[in-house]
Amino acid sequence: MNRRRFLNSTIGVAGLSWLPHLSARVESAHEAPILVAIELSGGNDGLNSVVPYADDAYYRLRPTIGIPANQLLKLDDHYGFNPGMLGLQRLWQEGQLAIVHGCGYERPSYSHFTSMAYWHTGVPHRGDEFGWMGRLADVLSPTRKDDMLINVAATQSLAVKSSVHTPVVFDDPERFQRHRWMASAAQELTGQHSTASSSPADAVEANAARAFLNAVDQSAQVSSARIRRAWKEYATPVDYGIAPMDLPKVAACIKAGLPTQLYHVSFRNNSFDTHVQQPALHRRLLSYACDGIHGFIRDLERIGEARRVLVMVYSEFGRRVPENANLGTDHGSANVMLLAGVGLNGGHYGRQPSLTELVDGDNLAHTTDFRQVYATVMQDWLNVDAQQVLHEEFETLPILRSV
Amino acid sequence: MEAIRSVSITILLSLLLTAFATPASAELDLTPLPDTAWSRGFAAHLASRAGFGATSSELDALERLSPRQAVQRFIRGLDTQTLAAFDHSGVFDEGLDPFPASRPATTELAKQQGHALGVDVKPGGNRPLQPVVNKFFYWLRASRLETDRVAYWWANRMLTSTHPLQEKMALFWHGHFATNEDKVRDYRKMHQQLVLFQAYGLGGFRELLIGVAQGPAMLAFLDAGVNTKDSPNENFAREIMELFTMGVGHYTERDVQEAARAFTGWNFVGLEFHINEAQHDAQAKSFLGQEGNFDGVEVIDIILEQPVTAEYIASKIYRYFVNEILDPADQAQLGSVLRELDYDVGAYLQVLFGSEDFYRRANVGSRIKSPVELLVSTYRHLGLTRVPGVPDFNVVSGALGQRLLHPPTVAGWSQGRSWITPSLMFERSNFGLDVLFPDIGFVPLDRYPGYTAEIVNVQNRLRQGMSVSAATRPTGISGGEDEMAASNLLADRDEDFNTRIGSMRGWQMALERVKPISRHVADLDLAGLVLEAECTTPMQVVEYFVAEFFAVEVTGSRKAELAASLTTELGTADVASTSTFLEEPLRKLLHQMFSLPEYQLG
Repeated sequence: MNRRRFLNSTIGVAGLSWLPHLSARVESAHEAPILVAIELSGGNDGLNSVVPYADDAYYRLRPTIGIPANQLLKLDDHYGFNPGMLGLQRLWQEGQLAIVHGCGYERPSYSHFTSMAYWHTGVPHRGDEFGWMGRLADVLSPTRKDDMLINVAATQSLAVKSSVHTPVVFDDPERFQRHRWMASAAQELTGQHSTASSSPADAVEANAARAFLNAVDQSAQVSSARIRRAWKEYATPVDYGIAPMDLPKVAACIKAGLPTQLYHVSFRNNSFDTHVQQPALHRRLLSYACDGIHGFIRDLERIGEARRVLVMVYSEFGRRVPENANLGTDHGSANVMLLAGVGLNGGHYGRQPSLTELVDGDNLAHTTDFRQVYATVMQDWLNVDAQQVLHEEFETLPILRSV
Repeated sequence: MEAIRSVSITILLSLLLTAFATPASAELDLTPLPDTAWSRGFAAHLASRAGFGATSSELDALERLSPRQAVQRFIRGLDTQTLAAFDHSGVFDEGLDPFPASRPATTELAKQQGHALGVDVKPGGNRPLQPVVNKFFYWLRASRLETDRVAYWWANRMLTSTHPLQEKMALFWHGHFATNEDKVRDYRKMHQQLVLFQAYGLGGFRELLIGVAQGPAMLAFLDAGVNTKDSPNENFAREIMELFTMGVGHYTERDVQEAARAFTGWNFVGLEFHINEAQHDAQAKSFLGQEGNFDGVEVIDIILEQPVTAEYIASKIYRYFVNEILDPADQAQLGSVLRELDYDVGAYLQVLFGSEDFYRRANVGSRIKSPVELLVSTYRHLGLTRVPGVPDFNVVSGALGQRLLHPPTVAGWSQGRSWITPSLMFERSNFGLDVLFPDIGFVPLDRYPGYTAEIVNVQNRLRQGMSVSAATRPTGISGGEDEMAASNLLADRDEDFNTRIGSMRGWQMALERVKPISRHVADLDLAGLVLEAECTTPMQVVEYFVAEFFAVEVTGSRKAELAASLTTELGTADVASTSTFLEEPLRKLLHQMFSLPEYQLG
């Protein structure tokens, strides 16, 4: 029996100390599973995140920035977390974290933008006009629906670009509103300017840019009131830390019962690109990210929605195995992916790539195709045929299946 | 020098224009637009792309010129005006240079040598490193606030310069050679780079590229300063090829590594480029199929010899100024034009702006304005002579996705549709409201720490007499230490200093030095404009605003709705009789029009 089913069968049972607010849970109108993808942009150094401290090669290749075993947050007799990852250590101890080792793809690109586009589309080297989450949304609903995808961001991610749906993209929920000046009573009711809304005739607009603007404008008018209300009604006592990557906004949307199943947020601006003076900076970045993820899971438990939410953490690449001369690391290849949630089988998955048999200029040889993780999430969490989205079949991992 | 250049451009141009006199049908039509085709509409198109739009009187003047003369005016500028140089607040002092990479690096340095950032460690007492930490945060805040002042200075140049293409091209290069003050952490370097973009942006690409590559802002941003012989750092070499010159896919990983070796030793001292010879790898390299003991400039010259480099730059400029959509086959044509012109950017733009292609129907009114273009062109069309302080230029452009001197990544800003999301459609409309009806709840973020508001709570708790440890615990968090975020647990763990106190004191110290931004609101007189234009009916008012502010026509039904709405507001259709109360209804109307999707096109 996996944790998700266990929870399903024991809702309301007292004595689950790790889910203190469960008994107070109010049944949500929506029960569909939710995926929250978190991007650590810039190329997170997986090797200094999940450290194989029992492997001597690690300390040989990273004589200066290798983290001494006694500073690590130990997971077991082989791995330890970067000391900034206290939040994820807490999840690990509760069995709420899965680590997938060695994720990557054939002939890796060392360009941030190219490699990120491969991860966003799920189609390395060939690319795709639409993102993998966008195509996933198209499979979940082949007809256009509101609020299928939410991307909290300053600019839309390629990952959520869909051929059917217009993703809801916002940054600050309080500003997700068209301010008006002394609306008439009728305008107040509809929440719209009659003159600023687009007529359906515009759909056949010849100027492509103009037609695009009209479509986005219409979508914005539909979604904004719901998002604002969700944020206004949300408050939390949970400590998300200093920079929680917009996860409180996602929690607010989930709490408000939005029908959205797919969310995408990121630690923005290439922050994890740690070429120089990495140790203190990387530890700080990881503490922000992991505090945010830990706070998010605890917050979902508080509002009684944790069991239907799965978090997936990825980055465009890992970093070069040997450190550089500037207390940093350069662009690399294979990396860890993380899945967090109360409905998964916590533990290690995949195989740690060898640190002694490096390839392609001191890089890790990937052992898991990152699309295996995508496929796992689609098949075993969202109940979607992954091949429809990825156009290829990938072996899934037993992270979400009963054991 | 200037004269020689323009003569050579003219010769080259005439050669080129002959070469393109009979274009094959598949190619872009770069033949010059004939004088007879010139119109007010084309002049407005030129002004909106080569500048930030033109007012009616400016259009009157442009319309009287030939297309060739009009384009010349944008390429060369009127040059009758000397724009004021940036007015430094005086926040920098010598102790701040070199600025350590992080707060931990600063406190480590202070522990080792007994001082850092020009501040000594206290010999004893409470928190001996606190003054050093305060100074660290002071510079982070002061440099950021001063950068906002540089951005304001630049925005005012965009608005008022008689050579707006110089500023528009600087904006292009800023997005192309993107560096961000958040990482550079020194407004002086950002300002220095911006001045380079302004001075050389319309000149030779080689000079510009070398100037940028040897500029402290870029060297700091891409970590070139630590690129040494024994361990070449690839960041700089990779981005030069991938983003600045060739584009991905035209070089190998080996080329990246070899180029990195050529750039070893490149560094800066203060605001000067400096080559550390001891760290330079002078050995033989193999780069893009050539062998030699190349240095950084030689690597750049090999890159410039690649046809793909000219194609990449020429196409990017075309997409920015003409149309996002460009057929791959046409990229080669544009690349050969730029190469023939010896990478002279001003001459290349002269070809583009003067061509039949530029005025093709598909290229007019089809481009989504970038946030900075939206703000500056709105202000220009409103007839403003200085950028308002309310709303804040940086906050608004940042909320819209384009904060000057803070591009999101080294790849700069994506253009076109990426400027638009559902939320950003609203932000664009709200900007219009903020200009037309200034927000009386406005808070100036160069005085109030809006992005780190928690330090105001810290300050208030200290004033109430709390201890440092108690005052710096985060506000509004419940639960014990086992559920507290690691980042919050760490704030007061080190007994030598407290980072939240440092952050608060740093802000106080920055306030003392950084000059405030003037918070004047837009000086508007829409009623005066409308009456002067002799609009007598609401529909004429709507038509007048469309002509003044819009690059594309607005549908008749929408105009009728707007006119009806204005009539309701005025209580009459006789506009002339409403002069004493006309202003507010006009502002409401214009805000409705600024909210239209059509207003986003330029």
